[in-house]
Amino acid sequence: MSVPTDHLLALAAVLFALGVLGFLVRKNVIIVLASIELMLNAANLSFLAASRHWSQATLAGQGDPMGGPVFAIFVILVAAAEAAVGLALVIALYRLKQSVALDSVAELRG
Amino acid sequence: MAEALFYVLAALAILSAVGVVRARMPLFSVLSLLGTFFCLAAIYLLAGFPFLAAVQLLVYAGAIMVLFLFVIMLLNLGDAAELERHAGLSLSGRRLFVAGASAALLGLVGLGAAELRTGFAAEAVPADRALDDLDTLARLLFSRYMLPFEAASLLLLATMVAVIVLAKRQRERARLVPAAEGVAAPVEPAGAPAGSAR
Repeated sequence: MSVPTDHLLALAAVLFALGVLGFLVRKNVIIVLASIELMLNAANLSFLAASRHWSQATLAGQGDPMGGPVFAIFVILVAAAEAAVGLALVIALYRLKQSVALDSVAELRG
Repeated sequence: MAEALFYVLAALAILSAVGVVRARMPLFSVLSLLGTFFCLAAIYLLAGFPFLAAVQLLVYAGAIMVLFLFVIMLLNLGDAAELERHAGLSLSGRRLFVAGASAALLGLVGLGAAELRTGFAAEAVPADRALDDLDTLARLLFSRYMLPFEAASLLLLATMVAVIVLAKRQRERARLVPAAEGVAAPVEPAGAPAGSAR
């Protein structure tokens, strides 16, 4: 595939922007968590795009040959942990409030 | 051929991402997210990362998506009417602000893409082959990235403990509340073996 790197990065940027938009706009906790997953996926895509972009240089012995994939794996790991904790929080919130709307949680508002 | 496939997949990924943000019900949002994951996995495959495509499918589309769907089904969140009452957009001022913020963000994205075009277009693009060789990846993970690897194991352990605590505390409180409302049942301190045959 000879797609230029900037197209991959543009796709990642659009996905990230959509994730930020969903994070800001939506009130449903589940959809907010899904938006976070979207942002993490965009970050992953940009890691891999950069790794692919510089793979020629790293094959020549300069730099880290596997930095992008390794970091992508760590991002996936963090995303899994975040989803588990976030969804446990959703369950706790639902038990407390019988709702998953973020508007119903304003105890810490100053 | 692969290029055309990439653009089709990119368009599908963006469409499903729009679906994630726009869906009325969380179930449809999460299913759109699944579509995005599939498209991204195919893009990873095209870009030369077959192992990460597999990991993406296994972890995201397999585990995380099942977790989301499980919670949605468990809490019975499929009811759109109850959600729209709470979850819709409320204030028009807020809506205006968010529209402006997202437009600014998309503008930044466009600027960044234009900037990238000048920086990246001249570079060579690698040939078609796997860039995430599993052998090299595993060796690096256990040598150079040993410390992050161990930190990741600690993170997973902490996540497990946190999830258990979050799920368990409510149950204990629910057991203690009727006891406190009762006549002479003293509430044990938190460390005591709670709920001993009551």
